[in-house]
Amino acid sequence: MPEKVISVNELVKSYSDITAVNGISFSINKGEVFSLLGPNGAGKTTTVEILEGVRNRTSGDVAVLGEDPEMSKTLIFKLGILPQDFSFIYNSTPREALNFYKGTLKASGDVGEILEMVELTDKATTPFQKLSGGQKQKLGLALSLVNDPEILFLDEPTSGLDPRARRNIWSVIKTLKGRGKSILLTTHYLEEAELLADRVAIMNKGKIVDSGTPMEIVERHHEEDNLIIRGDGQVESLMAAGGYKFQREGAYIKVGLKSIREATEIINYLYERKANFEDFTLKRESLEDVFVRMVGEIGEEDEAE
Amino acid sequence: MKLSRVSAYFVLHAKSYMRSRSALFFQIAFPIILILLFGAIFSGSSYSPTSLVIQNESPSAASWGVIGAINDSGLFKVQILPESQNLSQYIDAHSVQAALLVPANFTENLYGGGTGVLVLKGHTNPTVASADYETLNGILTQINFKVSNTSQRLVLSSQVALGNTGKTIDYYVPGLIGFTVLSTMFNMVYTVPNYRRERLFRQLSFSGLTKSEWITANMMFSFLMLVVSDIILVVIGIYAFGASLTLNVETILVSAVIIFGGLFFFTSVGILAGLVSDNEETVSVVGNLVMFPMMFLSGVFFPLSFAPAYLVTISKFLPLTYFINSLISVLDYGNISSVSIQIVYLLIGSAIIFAIAVRLFSWKQK
Repeated sequence: MPEKVISVNELVKSYSDITAVNGISFSINKGEVFSLLGPNGAGKTTTVEILEGVRNRTSGDVAVLGEDPEMSKTLIFKLGILPQDFSFIYNSTPREALNFYKGTLKASGDVGEILEMVELTDKATTPFQKLSGGQKQKLGLALSLVNDPEILFLDEPTSGLDPRARRNIWSVIKTLKGRGKSILLTTHYLEEAELLADRVAIMNKGKIVDSGTPMEIVERHHEEDNLIIRGDGQVESLMAAGGYKFQREGAYIKVGLKSIREATEIINYLYERKANFEDFTLKRESLEDVFVRMVGEIGEEDEAE
Repeated sequence: MKLSRVSAYFVLHAKSYMRSRSALFFQIAFPIILILLFGAIFSGSSYSPTSLVIQNESPSAASWGVIGAINDSGLFKVQILPESQNLSQYIDAHSVQAALLVPANFTENLYGGGTGVLVLKGHTNPTVASADYETLNGILTQINFKVSNTSQRLVLSSQVALGNTGKTIDYYVPGLIGFTVLSTMFNMVYTVPNYRRERLFRQLSFSGLTKSEWITANMMFSFLMLVVSDIILVVIGIYAFGASLTLNVETILVSAVIIFGGLFFFTSVGILAGLVSDNEETVSVVGNLVMFPMMFLSGVFFPLSFAPAYLVTISKFLPLTYFINSLISVLDYGNISSVSIQIVYLLIGSAIIFAIAVRLFSWKQK
């Protein structure tokens, strides 16, 4: 049985007029990357902040490394936290910020090494306000690593970053995963979760609507895979003659598949009849496709109600 | 509270602060500008004569004798306006603050055994008009004594003095020290809502720093900066403007305790004021609402003896009044024993306000 580092049971956070988190339950195992996915306002950040101890809950049970974050005064020293919209004192430099964290957390980590890991060495003495968005985010990530934490909370770590900066942060997260760190990752980017997370939970309107590995979720919710063929009217005629249902989309012919095996049959069928198709691709539904449909459906159901 | 965390934040804050030109300006340069300004205005005891336009409509030995006495007093810079000009129009056209009219019937009334009446005119504020009136009246009283060949039997010898030399700058040095301490409150009024808006308290809490440690580190740094700026104020006051302060080990230590008590108090008030400010507009309103009445009603910039009775009553409810009075007593008169109770009250009051501020000041997200 894997060791649980975070347990959440029937967690509720209500404000006077809304319920931001509505009775969610989940757990995170040691060394696991667990991702909370959801649209804006789903309750992800509220959940994470309750786990970090910076926000009090209305009801439910929460245990982080066996402690209640709302009550514990020592838990913070075992956590690494990169909050959403990370900000720091405007005139402080990354090196000063890291030295400050090192001093307060009584950490033994090497500031130079951490700066190098997040590729901020050349900006070590640049005041925070003069750093780019990506560099600021890297500093936030660096600060979360100073105390070599047991659990990392990364709330939208790559939000608003360019592809290169995003890949750099993914690389750091992969390294941390390789070192066996437990990570709670919230993100808007489904490809990020698919790439980094062992398990994900999809939140919408304060509730978890599904959870599991990205593959499990796709399998559970995907509707159909498609075979996309680039071909002319001859191909279209052969497909019709063969009794296959398809749609013309510009230069492409899109065929809905009952199974992946059917793709092989269609390609063989066309090949044997010397069809003029230039290329083909198999398009499987991604986590993002499933997510958009799930969140959209839930939204539509709510509107219908 | 862990001193290691306090010192870690102290170092971080100090380095960040030293990069902020505006912060350094308000902490160091602004008080220097103020003391240079006040020192230049009130430096030394040299008296700058007031301009006085005089029109003599009754030329005679008596009237010219009075005008000569006024001129010889050195208290007025006399300018004679010819009879041909209209005095009222001249006052309006030249914004004359003080003018003296010797009316046409002056000599006749005087030689006829009556009273020679002089008329003071001009456009000025009540305080200046009153001072000019009293000064001229004093000169006329002296002339009356000479004319009636009697001597003044009751004499008031003025030995009213602040400090040892009685210079106005002696009053302003402790006042400006009070101002520097008061301005630390303004820092908090701005910092607290700004840090909340930028979620910096949340970020600092991830470092393990507590709110008490944050306040303590801020106060320690402010105290250090106050010591630096106040030493500069005292040095400028003494060496540039000849201020005479009672400086010895005892008065310096007691002044440091008063400054620390004031800092303790005003930082806490600043935190409380900052807690009710949730955007930039209210920050400015709350900051000015708290700071300016206290600054002007507590005797920082002028003695409250000038103020009407109701303002003096209000000032008695302002902590800065006691703070300034304590500093004046210690630095100008070396009088420690008379302020010891005030200092104890200041420290107790500060501790209570500090406890309330810490209690209400939450780093948690709502």
